[in-house]
Amino acid sequence: MKKFVFLLVVGSLLMTTAGCQAPTPAATQPPPATQAPAAPPTVAPTKAPQVVTLRVSNWHLAEKHWEKTIKDAIPIFEKENPDIKVNLEVISYAEKEAKYATEIQAGAGPDLIHLAGYSIRNFVESGYLYDITPFIQKEPVGFLDQWYPHLVELFKYQGKQYGLPSDYMAMILAYDKKLFTEAGLDPNKPPKTWDEFLDYAKKMTRDRKGSGKTDTWGFGTVGTIDPGWELRFSPVLLSHGAAYLTPDNKCSALNTPEAKEAFKFWVGLVTDAKVVPPGVTSQGAGAVRTQFANELIAMKIGSGWTAPIIPTINKDFNIQENLGAAPMPVKAGKTLAKTTTAWYSGWMITKNTKYPEQAWRLLKWLTSKESDQRWFDGARVLSSRRDVSGDPDKGIKAYQPILDDKFSQVIQAELKNAQINPQLKEWPQIADTVNKEVQNAFTGSKSADAALKDAYDQINKILAPYRKAGETCPAY
Amino acid sequence: MNRRLRRELSRAVRTPFGSEITGNMNQSLASKVLFRSIRLNTGFAFALPCLLLLLLVLGLPAIMAVANSFTPIWSEVKTFTLDNYTKLLQDKTFWESLQVTIIFVAYTVMLHLALGLVVALALNADIRGIWLFRIIAILPWTIPDVISGLVWRFMYDPTAGIINYFLDRLGVQNPYIEWLAHPRLALPSVILADVWRGYPFVMLILLAGLQAIPKELYEAARVDGASVLQEFRHITVPGLVRMVQVALALDVIWQFRRFGLVYNMTQGGPGNATDILPLAIYRQYFKYFNFEYASAMAVVLAAIMIVISIPYVRMMVKRT
Repeated sequence: MKKFVFLLVVGSLLMTTAGCQAPTPAATQPPPATQAPAAPPTVAPTKAPQVVTLRVSNWHLAEKHWEKTIKDAIPIFEKENPDIKVNLEVISYAEKEAKYATEIQAGAGPDLIHLAGYSIRNFVESGYLYDITPFIQKEPVGFLDQWYPHLVELFKYQGKQYGLPSDYMAMILAYDKKLFTEAGLDPNKPPKTWDEFLDYAKKMTRDRKGSGKTDTWGFGTVGTIDPGWELRFSPVLLSHGAAYLTPDNKCSALNTPEAKEAFKFWVGLVTDAKVVPPGVTSQGAGAVRTQFANELIAMKIGSGWTAPIIPTINKDFNIQENLGAAPMPVKAGKTLAKTTTAWYSGWMITKNTKYPEQAWRLLKWLTSKESDQRWFDGARVLSSRRDVSGDPDKGIKAYQPILDDKFSQVIQAELKNAQINPQLKEWPQIADTVNKEVQNAFTGSKSADAALKDAYDQINKILAPYRKAGETCPAY
Repeated sequence: MNRRLRRELSRAVRTPFGSEITGNMNQSLASKVLFRSIRLNTGFAFALPCLLLLLLVLGLPAIMAVANSFTPIWSEVKTFTLDNYTKLLQDKTFWESLQVTIIFVAYTVMLHLALGLVVALALNADIRGIWLFRIIAILPWTIPDVISGLVWRFMYDPTAGIINYFLDRLGVQNPYIEWLAHPRLALPSVILADVWRGYPFVMLILLAGLQAIPKELYEAARVDGASVLQEFRHITVPGLVRMVQVALALDVIWQFRRFGLVYNMTQGGPGNATDILPLAIYRQYFKYFNFEYASAMAVVLAAIMIVISIPYVRMMVKRT
């Protein structure tokens, strides 16, 4: 019995280590060749190209209305490029950075990834991406001129190019015309100033369904810790003439009178005017879209994704008749260069790719004029290409369907007023810092002024590495 | 050669294996000792593959995390520095997170124990169909962390959640209680969700302990005229002490690592009200790409858990 146990132990140890052993030469010997029958004389066949499979990851695949557009487009590429097969991989918007960073670090990242502006700088500076500069240098002169120059710059680091821009839209005010009408407001005259906005929001915050309590609110917004939060707060800051950081990105600029005014206004929507539904600090973009689709809120800050998403939540919402779009309101009496924030994204090849040349061909195709036009047709997302979204300064007209779509034409017109967020790898931390302090002010844990001061001080600490020894930031 | 080895060898000579050893007297003494050691340590040998796997999957990343907290292991330039720990000491948000974590762990563990004990006592009854109630009692534990967080988030929703719906029907004046958005309610709401999800773990351990207490003790106590409370105090409690220690130790370690439920419910908000350390570490590493700083935070959290688990490990070692 003991002998049996001993042999069993030794045997199991050997079996667990067997898989780790390199195959012996004898095990890899090919089987003996069989004699092939004599083939009839034919023209020598051309060698079939080696088919490579590229892994492409995109959060758009997680939403039905976007997924269809992408899945319909890929076969077109595969037909034009028979030596490349594309495997699409879904990823959630919230977790893409964590998953990509882990996978790429482990050497198992996809060949191509799609990232939003929030985290592009982190990836560009982290060494996770493939340098596509040699490929661009082989392209015809002026290749990069097809895109807006300021967007191409976002993917450059230390003189090298690490990606190409893709989506590009301005944040605008989306509103429900039906709720406007019911509240006695003209649906064709959306608010132009923040004072008007507040007035409208108050009028539309009411007991609409006869429930005996407020069941419709004038405005809804993202309030949870979410990458999409800053897309909603930034336009308010910018349209008051304020900014997060100083132009040299060494200090916070939240100590200016304009920033304080913008912050107080934003907080007041929740604490004083109460025009925002309760529980704002736990609401993400999905919750706000659901509220809008179900007519619980009359206005929200959104962009190109609003129009296609709303009917998927509530098929009875008539976007042709009831969905309105307007530029962001501004501070009365102010003339500002930038009054809203830009949403943008890009395609990048990761350093894990085994097929850089094929990945480059796919990257070019994904950011081509035809692809971006197709993307707009299916998903209503505008492009970072001048020949799709237009460039009036260069006399380049936008893709006609953009100009024909009432919602999209507002987004397209606002692009010139849209500001890109600060290009620092600390940007996610800076945005979250302000977000948390906004939450503290919303909930009354801190006064608006105290919350803003804390945000200001924390951001200055985050930016300390950018300042020289002895350099300080002004007091709040 | 020490006395123990000599004793083992002389014993070995008299065994079926030993006859082989004496039959091969030309074998070196070392191989004979090894032979005997393998036979004696069969149990250890069975556990060895699993131990190696654990070292690889858990031990190696832990060592890398410790190293990363002192020097950026993914960078080409490696310099040893204590900067991350210095920064940690001065980071107000880290200490706030630690405070929230301690409060979260203390309350959830206490409530897991209380609720787990009550349910275990109830499920220890000898009644027909008790198996069905035991299955129902375990169900919350079978639901993944992340899903529990989502479900409770929907339930807590101020305008569409079922909790506020029932409160409204009961005539509560403010129908829109912000369970997850109010700084004073957010942490208790998250704790309640976690207690619902986590109590079965403690309940199972205590139920096993209750079932191990001999029934004769209760019969004898009843014969002697003991009341239910006296039975509980003098039989049940002493019989459960060991199991309570085990449950507490394991639960504290689990609760310090809680992540998915809180992440899905509040993301650590509002402000820092529910910002437990695992969330803060996750954010630093995966959102802000502050890999070295996040590693330092993780090392501190691990050190706290090691300190907490020392009494448990000592107890287990004493037992063996």
